[in-house]
Amino acid sequence: MSMNRRGLRMAGTVLAAVIIFGPLSSLVIWSFAEKWYWPHLFPQQVGLFYWSKVLQGDMLRALQSGFLIAVVVTVLTLVITVPLAYLLARTPIPFKPVILMIFLLPQAFPQLPVFVNSTTLLYRINQGGKFWGVVLIHMVGALVFAVWTMTAVFKSVPESLEEAAINLGASRLKSFFSVALPLATPGIIASTLLVFLYSLDEFTGTLLVGSPFILTLPVFMYRTSVGYELQVASISALLLMVPGIVLLILLERYMKSEYLSMFGRI
Amino acid sequence: MRPSLRIASLIIALPPLAIVVWLFFIPFLSSAHLSFLREDQWTLRNYSLVWRLYRYDILYTLWIAFVSLAAVLLIAVLLCGYLRITTNKPVEFLFKIPLFIPFVVVGHAMRVLLAPKGTLNSVLSQIGLINLNDPPSIAFGWMGIAVSLIWKNLALAVLLVLGAYRSVDETYLEAARNFGASTFRQIRDILLPMSAASLAVAGAFLFTSMLASFSVPLMIGSGEPPQMVMIDVYYRINYQGDYGTANALGVVSYLLAMGVAGYYLRTITQKET
Repeated sequence: MSMNRRGLRMAGTVLAAVIIFGPLSSLVIWSFAEKWYWPHLFPQQVGLFYWSKVLQGDMLRALQSGFLIAVVVTVLTLVITVPLAYLLARTPIPFKPVILMIFLLPQAFPQLPVFVNSTTLLYRINQGGKFWGVVLIHMVGALVFAVWTMTAVFKSVPESLEEAAINLGASRLKSFFSVALPLATPGIIASTLLVFLYSLDEFTGTLLVGSPFILTLPVFMYRTSVGYELQVASISALLLMVPGIVLLILLERYMKSEYLSMFGRI
Repeated sequence: MRPSLRIASLIIALPPLAIVVWLFFIPFLSSAHLSFLREDQWTLRNYSLVWRLYRYDILYTLWIAFVSLAAVLLIAVLLCGYLRITTNKPVEFLFKIPLFIPFVVVGHAMRVLLAPKGTLNSVLSQIGLINLNDPPSIAFGWMGIAVSLIWKNLALAVLLVLGAYRSVDETYLEAARNFGASTFRQIRDILLPMSAASLAVAGAFLFTSMLASFSVPLMIGSGEPPQMVMIDVYYRINYQGDYGTANALGVVSYLLAMGVAGYYLRTITQKET
């Protein structure tokens, strides 16, 4: 490679970094700004005042309840999805096209106008503004994501291995537990972590169903941002970014693009 | 399948299916139903209200979605061509980051960056590019929404387009290079035509996602008309409690998203029958 080309390549990489980190960097500065008079380029006074302030009040509560919701959503989704995904990948389960279509609908249509009516249904069983209402509305998106990714995971396990086990006298159940499940575990873990992240980041359903009693970090951040509490909102925004970035780095090699393309919607 | 296995598999399918049917499929149908009701009477009044009050908002939404889609596809087609022909791992990784940053955070970050008293203006004023007495505002208008949607969706577009480009066989590109084709010619004459079908799908997918965006316009919209359709639906319910008109607007948005729905339906019926 010539000097010229290498220089061009460096410039391109720097430009990409500016495009990606530029919008995010003002969040970092705002989170430490104690006094920042416009139009100065940098704050007049920086410190940890707002960090120490937010890490006790409402934000901590939003963080806790959001985390708890995400844990419950993830566990429930995992338990009910793994067997179904296996069936969809391996067997001619009755009504298969109908089942697949129902799990595609939430991907194909705008979510908000539907969730407006889902909220009404949840209020009808007295779960509006409650913990379980939010868990249920999160599970809609989580299930769709989990069913598609985990079905793909089971399809990637060679069927011949299971056939061998069955030929040697193992039952369907036994071949599932001792052949398919262990081989699918890395993929299932990746998909589970993404379900967890989906629930942590979910905004629309939480705002509609949870308000005003159930507060998660995305909704908390929205309220503080439109209320011009810029430091508090920026700290929340930074905290919201952390799990996603950690997962991106951890899972880089395991993630197939079809998992991620479904993920672009939160 | 043995009958006992059939029953067992239906029992396994039931819980996840029940949740999605109850909280998505039924509400989806009921929005169509409610859009024709007003004070328990069947009527088209909701739709005439949508036409009277929101027709410009629908155009505004389409405008933002089309402009953002065009920008995202243009950048992705060229950038992915570069990444496909000469690998650049750092850049590829950088453009995955927005995928994991939720829309609300993007909305807030762009609000801080692009507001009249935002970080961008203060940077530009340092180098004397703008007048501080009359700072331009990119946020709180269609440009702010478009910039945020482009930034966020570019990651998804790069993922999809690069995937399509990678499935183009290397030998075609080598042949073109042997005849002296530049990077741009390789993109225009080989990569682009050979992945046109995947690109169309990616485009339809991105278009629906932009059309349906809610948190970004909520964060950096102006709060005044024109608004994006999802904001109208939300305000109609939150401030007026008018489910009829909100659902009629919802049905309009479903119709606009039909392209993607049609594609999905075709793939299922092709694959599973």
